[in-house]
Amino acid sequence: MAAMESFDNIYLDLSKDSGKCRFAENGLGWKPSGSSNTFTLDAGDIASAQWSRAAKGYEVKILKRSSEIVHLDGFQEEDQARLVKIFKNWYSANLETKEHALRGWNWGKTEFSKAELVFNVQNRPSFEIPYSEISNTNLAGRNEVAIEFAASDEADTGTNGHLGGARGRGKKSGAGKDQMVEMRFYIPGVTTRKETEGEDA
Amino acid sequence: GQNGTEVKKFKKFESYKRENQFPPKVRNLEIIVDQKNMTVILPVMGRPVPFHINTIKNASKNDEGEWSFLRINFLSPGQGVGRKDDQPFEDASAQFVRSLTFRSLDGDRYDEIATQISNMKKEATKKEQAKKDMED
Repeated sequence: MAAMESFDNIYLDLSKDSGKCRFAENGLGWKPSGSSNTFTLDAGDIASAQWSRAAKGYEVKILKRSSEIVHLDGFQEEDQARLVKIFKNWYSANLETKEHALRGWNWGKTEFSKAELVFNVQNRPSFEIPYSEISNTNLAGRNEVAIEFAASDEADTGTNGHLGGARGRGKKSGAGKDQMVEMRFYIPGVTTRKETEGEDA
Repeated sequence: GQNGTEVKKFKKFESYKRENQFPPKVRNLEIIVDQKNMTVILPVMGRPVPFHINTIKNASKNDEGEWSFLRINFLSPGQGVGRKDDQPFEDASAQFVRSLTFRSLDGDRYDEIATQISNMKKEATKKEQAKKDMED
């Protein structure tokens, strides 16, 4: 394997501009076209990685040891074998393939992983919400939980704003022209009721 | 089947089988109404997420200052009263996405999307009714 593997047209954390993503033994780097700023991630910070279909193409989602997520979108389907090798040989990590639910159902099961809330439909993730993007949650009603997201202007990209418009922590919902501001879940009751309480209903 | 004791049954439906059936526009991270597949695709944290029209209750648009809001309400147990509550669910003990709200500076687009969703819902209901009439 070459000492460096390079991929073009990759988007970092829902960045506006695409850039070049380079992998080497000591870690990876991403640089937007026409910019001198580079995002880097040390090999030692990589805890695990996932391969899925995303918006621009295929994505590599990296979970850092600090439980943060790095999102790289825009890979081609045929890049998978190369990337599996890169992660195995250089980062001792398994690039796990995750197929997402496509049925279009709105019922399933929420799962709380290290860095994200995952909504599973028939044991496949339908979508994920990184905890870093949640600005508020509240009990909106009986069996109803509301999650709010801090929408931000397209110009306001947060901490990584200089990096081709990559979205910093808590700024992801502002990435497109349609910004998700709230999501509500129906959670069936699990409270145990005394028999006498249920009678007056 | 007009005897009032009829039990409605949940009918299976599916938006897509394979990822390559997504319209190419999903790369823009925007709301897409996919008429062909009776599905609304919503961008959730950079991922296109399909919701079949059968899961959608309604869509409404509101304005607040320069921003427009599009709220999509989904069918879930314990909503509404009476008639609406006999909506069959495959698994009423599951957790449900009940609503999703987006905002945009382009209010006209949200008017258009809300109308498209309403029309698709009407069409789906009509088809369902026609099917039922055939069975009766």
